[in-house]
Amino acid sequence: MIYLDNGATSLRKPGSVSQAMLRAMQTCANPGRGGYPSAMAAADAVYACREQAAALFDCQPEQVVFTANCTHGLNIAIRTLVKPGDTVLISGFEHNAVTRPLHLLDAKIVVAGRRLFDWDDTLEAFERGLRSGVDAAVFTHVSNVFGYILPAARMAELCRKHGVPFILDAAQSAGTLNVKLGELGADYIAMPGHKGLLGPQGTGLLLCGGKPVPLLAGGTGSESRSQAMPDFLPDRLEAGTLNVPGIAGLSAGLAYIRRVGTDAIFRREQEAAALCIPALRRQGYRVFAGAHQSATVSILPDMDCEAAAQALAAQGVAVRAGLHCAPLAHESAGTLETGTVRISFGHDASARQVQLLLRALRRGNIR
Amino acid sequence: MKNDWLITFRSVTFAQRGDRALRGAGVEGILQRTPKQLAERGCGYCLRIRGRDAMPAVALLRERAIPFGKLYALTADGRVEERAL
Repeated sequence: MIYLDNGATSLRKPGSVSQAMLRAMQTCANPGRGGYPSAMAAADAVYACREQAAALFDCQPEQVVFTANCTHGLNIAIRTLVKPGDTVLISGFEHNAVTRPLHLLDAKIVVAGRRLFDWDDTLEAFERGLRSGVDAAVFTHVSNVFGYILPAARMAELCRKHGVPFILDAAQSAGTLNVKLGELGADYIAMPGHKGLLGPQGTGLLLCGGKPVPLLAGGTGSESRSQAMPDFLPDRLEAGTLNVPGIAGLSAGLAYIRRVGTDAIFRREQEAAALCIPALRRQGYRVFAGAHQSATVSILPDMDCEAAAQALAAQGVAVRAGLHCAPLAHESAGTLETGTVRISFGHDASARQVQLLLRALRRGNIR
Repeated sequence: MKNDWLITFRSVTFAQRGDRALRGAGVEGILQRTPKQLAERGCGYCLRIRGRDAMPAVALLRERAIPFGKLYALTADGRVEERAL
């Protein structure tokens, strides 16, 4: 199978990931709950992952909070910064993981910047939004549909300038782009463990620059006499037993990324995208691509996009079609009614993947 | 000062961070559960440092801004004495 759905989850992980998970299942008990060797082995495995993440994302180990996925982290961060009825600034390319929690809080949403691949438009609209008086900002680093890399560092700078707390959704950038909690001055950065970080599904990270409000309350293995959740991280947000095998796998994924380097992974993905985009255009597709493009590319065939993806699947090529849980992004691009077919390369991107995709599109008569 | 020492922490994560920092400075500690009578808030972890002056370790934790709780000396006759910080 040619796997080109890395925007949903990475499938080809380093072998060290599953090995670490198996080892954790065989040797680790409950971290932070006991003092015997297998409990301490679990605590060591968990802390090793915090250290890996802290080194990659420029923060302290206790600022790294384990979540079940990126959505979980975003919900914690949004619940912390946004009160019911608050006004929140978002980009025009947000995922439902951002917009649905805001709707649940009945937040007034200000959408800033609708033009794909246009940093000037994004920045001007974003600063206008900040000037209009908002309580918080939430924005994605990279559109999960179109691969538009937003000017996150400059948006962060604008938030700091206007004194607006903000959350970065790094679902599509962690592991390939520069994501630094300290450098960005973000209040929160949420990311999945199972995409660019090459960990297993069911893992995620929330990097905390602020003092979060817990979404869950319960046992933490610390200060057990108190009925209040601990006021320190990471315990404040980590009620209940952690996903130790998942965290061990994530730790191995992070170690791999640090060894190979995010720049090298980004370059490899970019090379594949640079081959793919003009070739798709030559084959007659409407391709959504431009400056500030990641290795996620959407195309719009004449035929139904789900049927196109199905035809590709029949030839062993895995892509994702539809709205990609991001109707706002499709609305911005004018594809809300049609959806798109999304091709997303990963750390294993290659010219051969591009060739086989193009061949499958031709052979499948996908127009 | 050849006592054993216990440095308490509010969480296993702080204790681990302290442990790593001290090891990096050549101070080998044992990460363990805090004895019940010392865990005022319920549960916690501590670092046991054997047979050396604990004050350089405390100074290093402070220097690295690693939050810790209290310092206890374990005396030869089995008593546990809190030491002022």
